[in-house]
Amino acid sequence: MLNKRKKYLQIAFNRSLDEVKNMITMLPSSEKIIIEAGTPLIKRYGTRCITEIKNYWESNIGKPGYVVADLKCMDRGSREVFAVANAGASAATCLGLAPTDTINEFIRECSDVNIDSMVDMMNIQFPFEILQKLKKLPTVVVLHRGVDENERNKEKQLQLDQIHRIKGTYGNVLISIAGGETERDLVRTFFNDADIAVIWRAFYEKPDKSKELAEGFLSKIR
Amino acid sequence: MKTILNIIMSAISRLVTVQKDFAFIKKPKLLKREKYLHIALNNSLEEAYNIISQLPFSDRILIEVGTPLIKIYGTDAISKIKSMTPVGTYIVADNKCSDLATKEVEMMSVAGANAATCLGVAPIETIDSFIEECERYGIDSMIDMMNVDNALLVLKKLKKLPTVVMLHRGVDESEFSKEKQIPLYQIKQIKGFYSDVLVAVAGGDTIKEVQRAIFNNADIVVVWKNFYQADGDTAQLATSFLKEI
Repeated sequence: MLNKRKKYLQIAFNRSLDEVKNMITMLPSSEKIIIEAGTPLIKRYGTRCITEIKNYWESNIGKPGYVVADLKCMDRGSREVFAVANAGASAATCLGLAPTDTINEFIRECSDVNIDSMVDMMNIQFPFEILQKLKKLPTVVVLHRGVDENERNKEKQLQLDQIHRIKGTYGNVLISIAGGETERDLVRTFFNDADIAVIWRAFYEKPDKSKELAEGFLSKIR
Repeated sequence: MKTILNIIMSAISRLVTVQKDFAFIKKPKLLKREKYLHIALNNSLEEAYNIISQLPFSDRILIEVGTPLIKIYGTDAISKIKSMTPVGTYIVADNKCSDLATKEVEMMSVAGANAATCLGVAPIETIDSFIEECERYGIDSMIDMMNVDNALLVLKKLKKLPTVVMLHRGVDESEFSKEKQIPLYQIKQIKGFYSDVLVAVAGGDTIKEVQRAIFNNADIVVVWKNFYQADGDTAQLATSFLKEI
């Protein structure tokens, strides 16, 4: 489980499973790293990629590590959560844009099977409106600028101003920021009080440099 | 027994992959004047096999590899289900894309899908890129309007229209909020504005709802297990459905 007083670097993996294996083996053994099985990876290989990633990471750090299944659940909340929890995930994600019934069902099932719930606020202007409708809060709220948005529309910004607002209202929830890609983004993210920064592109583009990249990012986390 | 079945399946799948390279196998295409029954498979590959083996042969039946199957088995689910169906069957990959459209469309089309789905709630940039990629790979694009209040507003923002717009009430919604209705009036609204687009309706639980969708001019009706479980025999139901439309 995540520690509220710590900051985490979440690395999302989207290359082929063989490449991901090499990349994870290269990473520095740090508990500050969270490993994410990206949505394309799950859709390509199914839940077995979660189990394999979990094993690679465990053999790197010498104990079971934290693995997020980026399910981006939109319907059938409980069924999908059950499948990834069985495969060994420590957390799963649900879209904030999913029907409220689905998000509620997703959070309930996550707590039933004892994994963390993350609600991904991609394409949502006011995450508050979603949180207010929920029966129970998720473990983590992910503020997210999508990859396609990033590439095709440079004006859209990360909603760093929302971090304090959400934390001010809901003290217990952790905030993750996805969509920044540089060390500078990471520093800004943590300066604004986020708990988790999600990075993928640098690793996707230079898989051979996974070790150096991770060390660079980790050095920016206090 | 299971291993023998697996060997036969993989042999058929290889045969189908080889055949795909030959132009004489016609690619299934959706026609504007037809009505289609779209059967979604969501539970397991074994169950999918059971259902498929009971279905009558018809080019008006579309087979969907549901999101849970894709997330559990990966794109293998698509090629395996494709190998269970008669050659030329139209296969929909319900990948529910919400980002990284280029990558997902490529994966689904390489696995043998004839259509892929993207969420209507996804960023417009993603939907635009999804439709472009589908065209590039020669597969149909379906936009799933689950949890979208007004599908027309989404369509108006797009650079290009998708092949199919799917009006959809989710499973969780249907179970927990019985009062939510499938917005059938939107079918005519959409067709009034965009005559080229096909409209699919998903989320009906009863045969009555299916009839209502067709009556309201839907081109495709999506059904899944709850629907035919409640009404008994899958094959019989599909046959009577096809007769009716």
